[in-house]
Amino acid sequence: MSKVLLAALPVPLRLLLALVLLLLVCFCALSTGAVPISISGLFGLSPLDEMQSTVLWQLRFPRLLLALLAGSGLALCGALLQNASRNPLADPYLFGIVSGAALGATIATIVLPEWQLLTPLFAFFGALLAVFLVLVIGASSRWQRLESLLLCGVAVSFMLSAITTALLYLSEPFAANRVMFWLMGSLSQASLTHVAFISPLVFITLLLGLLYRRQLDALVLSDESARSLGVNVQPLRLVILLLCAAVSAAIVAFCGGIAFVGLMIPHLVRSLFGLSSVALLLGSVWLGAVFLTGVDTLSRSILPEQELPIGVVTSAIGSLFFLSMLFKYRRG
Amino acid sequence: MGHTLVVEFLQVQLHIDQQQILTELTFAIEQGQFVGLLGPNGAGKTSLLRLLQKEYHPSSGQIKFKNQPLGSFSQSELAAKVALVSQLSGPLFDLTVADVVLMGLIPHKALWQTNTEHDLLQLKQSLELVGLADKERHSFAHLSGGEQQRVLLARAVMQKPLLLLLDEPTNHLDLYYQHQVLRIAKALSITVIASIHDLNLASRYCDRLLLLNKGQLVADGTAEEVLTQELLTEVFCIPCLIDQNPFGDCPRVSFGYKDDL
Repeated sequence: MSKVLLAALPVPLRLLLALVLLLLVCFCALSTGAVPISISGLFGLSPLDEMQSTVLWQLRFPRLLLALLAGSGLALCGALLQNASRNPLADPYLFGIVSGAALGATIATIVLPEWQLLTPLFAFFGALLAVFLVLVIGASSRWQRLESLLLCGVAVSFMLSAITTALLYLSEPFAANRVMFWLMGSLSQASLTHVAFISPLVFITLLLGLLYRRQLDALVLSDESARSLGVNVQPLRLVILLLCAAVSAAIVAFCGGIAFVGLMIPHLVRSLFGLSSVALLLGSVWLGAVFLTGVDTLSRSILPEQELPIGVVTSAIGSLFFLSMLFKYRRG
Repeated sequence: MGHTLVVEFLQVQLHIDQQQILTELTFAIEQGQFVGLLGPNGAGKTSLLRLLQKEYHPSSGQIKFKNQPLGSFSQSELAAKVALVSQLSGPLFDLTVADVVLMGLIPHKALWQTNTEHDLLQLKQSLELVGLADKERHSFAHLSGGEQQRVLLARAVMQKPLLLLLDEPTNHLDLYYQHQVLRIAKALSITVIASIHDLNLASRYCDRLLLLNKGQLVADGTAEEVLTQELLTEVFCIPCLIDQNPFGDCPRVSFGYKDDL
């Protein structure tokens, strides 16, 4: 129904609507919080006091940029991984990326506390380690086969989670708490450095995704069909996996575990805009950004004087979303 | 009929996992021929088509395409000259018919090139050719099996191939669509190699038949030459009778169970 309504709108109007929604969410994110900032203040029409100015430029602006980027990046990775693996449940979690990042963060916090400031770096390399393991184990079991790769992802994910859990169990409770909180996801540590680190990865991945749009479409039908059109299926799939690993690893390293965005947003985009790769990738980038910015604003304003971890809110919304999909399919 | 050779197999053998799949295949296919690959399951029909797409590589012998070794063509060069229509097991995600047909442009377009008006005109012409001009914006996954096969044929047309490979294109289709798909392929007037299970369809549409059994080429010729009672009974292990198809100038094969004869 929503797709029919959207299809009835001319393209420029649809783009305008998308832009308006994005701007609206951005203004909400910048003005909402413990220190309210009016819209006129945001536009420079009324003066901001020193506190407001500091909060706006030092805290909310980097946080907004990080929310936009992390939402876009996770949704983009989900869309690419789902199409490239022809699996509607594929997302960075399925390939062990988040488990790897969690292990890296746990090692930095518990085993090497003197390295604690480098937690994001450890998480980043932990995520890359997970993908490396998936590829190496997959290669020895004919990784050309898609199913082998996915099963390797699940196995590596469980293996790394088991090590993380064991480390947490043996550690002192305060350190374990810190890791647990990190795992729940938060954008509270956002800085422009994080934004500068993640943005090139997201832009390169999006650009390559758009350049290879026809090849990605061809992968959706079957490997044989794509190969007959001249698509180098395995190298393309490998590049997509590595790029998504780098993007998700960077996001998870700085923002912790933010579940369901990579899984849910592409599904929503498909039902709104259809599946051709251009619509899917651009739609996912847009909706991912809108969604995570909105959720972040909600998570820091829903409780007085306290922030809810963003991963808790995305998981809650994600599970409700999939339940609603299940009931929709049941009704036929 | 021209005499330019499109495909040549010279003593081609294929082993997969130590198992012999194809043995000493030698034949040549001329431009414009509609060749049917016949044989029971496991005879090597699909493997032969995969050799032509470079998905498999011969263990020995040589395959030539347009008088050059097939191996000298890159995957994308080959895709600009050879198109494949095979069975699809229902796509998981939904694409429009236009999305699927436009994939045929992949071998001819650089990554950054967008679709031109000429491409969109070709899209319309390809869909008209397969009788689906009104389905351009329809969902591919929601089409019937016959319509999906015709969309894939339209995609192959967009590819502008010299050689069209059809891998059991009529499986799971009802009688009407079986004939329609092969009639469209025949009307393209390009070289076609089609693996077909239905011997009467092969007899009706193919200029030449290659009969494979256990990886060996056991007969090569016109329908009259290949579809003989002795050969078919031996290869398919089922009694058969051959007479004239009353609707066309081609042999008709009727099968019976062992008890029937």
